[in-house]
Amino acid sequence: MDNTTKKEMKWIYEEIVGRIPPFSLVSYQYSILLQLFFLLVIGLTLGFIFNLKTVSLLYGSLAILVAVSWSLLILQLGPTLRKFRAPLSKDENELLERYKGILFHRNHYEAIPGIAIFIPFMLYLFYFGPDLLENWLGKNPHIILLLFVSLLIWDICYRMGLGIWTSVLALWRSLRLKKIAEKRTELEHTPYTELRSLRRLDINNAFFGIISLLLIPLFKSDNFLITIIFIFMVFITLISVISAYIVSKVPWLPPDIYNLVNESSFAYIGTSLRGITHVTPVVYVFDGQKIFFNTSKEAKKLKTLRKNKKVAFLIDKRDMSNIYENKAVLFTGETKIYGVFDVPLRLINMLSTLHLFIKKYPEYTRKYSTSELPKAWQLTPIISRILVEVKPAKIIYWRGAKQISVPV
Amino acid sequence: MKIPVEMRNILYGNYFGYVCTSDRNDQPHLTPVFFVYDEHSQKIFFITNDKSKKIKNITENPNVSITVDIRDPVNPFNNEGVMAQGTATITEKAPIYFLSEETLQLYYDIYMEFKSKYEKVIENKPLGENDVIVQINIEKMVYWRGPHFKSVIFRKDE
Repeated sequence: MDNTTKKEMKWIYEEIVGRIPPFSLVSYQYSILLQLFFLLVIGLTLGFIFNLKTVSLLYGSLAILVAVSWSLLILQLGPTLRKFRAPLSKDENELLERYKGILFHRNHYEAIPGIAIFIPFMLYLFYFGPDLLENWLGKNPHIILLLFVSLLIWDICYRMGLGIWTSVLALWRSLRLKKIAEKRTELEHTPYTELRSLRRLDINNAFFGIISLLLIPLFKSDNFLITIIFIFMVFITLISVISAYIVSKVPWLPPDIYNLVNESSFAYIGTSLRGITHVTPVVYVFDGQKIFFNTSKEAKKLKTLRKNKKVAFLIDKRDMSNIYENKAVLFTGETKIYGVFDVPLRLINMLSTLHLFIKKYPEYTRKYSTSELPKAWQLTPIISRILVEVKPAKIIYWRGAKQISVPV
Repeated sequence: MKIPVEMRNILYGNYFGYVCTSDRNDQPHLTPVFFVYDEHSQKIFFITNDKSKKIKNITENPNVSITVDIRDPVNPFNNEGVMAQGTATITEKAPIYFLSEETLQLYYDIYMEFKSKYEKVIENKPLGENDVIVQINIEKMVYWRGPHFKSVIFRKDE
């Protein structure tokens, strides 16, 4: 089992192409460009030999372009998943291994949807849609041309199949992951970076769906096929967007730390400028995914953070009666200061964060609003209190006297 | 110059301090510590493991800061605290018979001080093999109570 997954994680087509020189000699991105180049050269040469119309050459080039863009997107799955660090949860790890196992199954099930598209399409093309073929190649095309076009059609159908295969599997994986993640205990979790890369793969797949619209000019006279392409586009894009959304809702913090961050009222923030450090308590909120604190425009820490955005952010639970009950988590990383330029794009996010502040610190909000306070303390939302997001690169967790480093 | 009384009261009345160090790349690091304040030398002491990140940082950059505060989740006007900035010195670590009389005395005093302050939690636990005492030489202090701030700068030669 281990051997097959540790293996290359390649699909059948990629495995075959990967063995043929010159494709076997270069990394896969170059190999794709090389394939594009080869197909284009062959297509154009055939076009000139058989005296095709310019529009035929354009159709062919468009099909090649689509096939290659699809490859570029979908072939990131293998390398990304190969680098995937194992989740720190037995169940989540098993799920991901199963997902990879099916995705790159050695029986190559991934080719089935491609074949299921290819065969009906070829039948349709030769029996019901000769207009289309004539439109592409002119009357009575040479057998070599037909073979080349069939190869192109296979390229397209195979990748359409891969699109269906990967997006459906991704949705299944995201739904399961979300469900399993709800049953985590203590320090079980899937690291943030890995959740992010799953989400990025899903977003790639959404683009994969949108790219299929480029095929529409090829079928300009055939409403039936255009409808099919449209359904395909909506299907892939929708499934991928839903999957990406679900992954973004999987907590990236293990429950012990999640609860500590969720329940604690105060945090300490450490900053450093040219070696001089500064540490003060702050109020903060946590929306389940992101941590924000809020500070006055005049504060020293803000001025420091504008010059050096590196930060240490500590949240703890202190208990003098039982030292083993003490818990603390330290996030080190960078900060993002929200400013006027973020308003157009992130207004909703900023307002919901503000709402979290009001809910978590009702008294604070009320007191900060009175005008008797020094200017720096007055809370005129968004304007004089600045919202800062903590973007951790490293997490250290202390429980009792034990120090645990938690992968992000 | 003496530390003003309200600042001293915070240092005496609280158990947790938050020490911020930073490495040579200006990446800050923060940990909660148990600490004691010595009025005579006007220094803050804490004990830590010599393999810890903060010790590694202090050897790269001796500038540290420590915050000690009282926090009220309901009313911010009751928040009170101090932040001290200064330089840290790590007490030399060597087998006991190589230590100078002075250092030994310091170890003894600080340990006794810790024992009386953190009686409940450290009980009779002796200093560990890798434990070192870090002293913070205070150069600047900031004090806040509710919205009011006050800061004091200490001259280094005092």
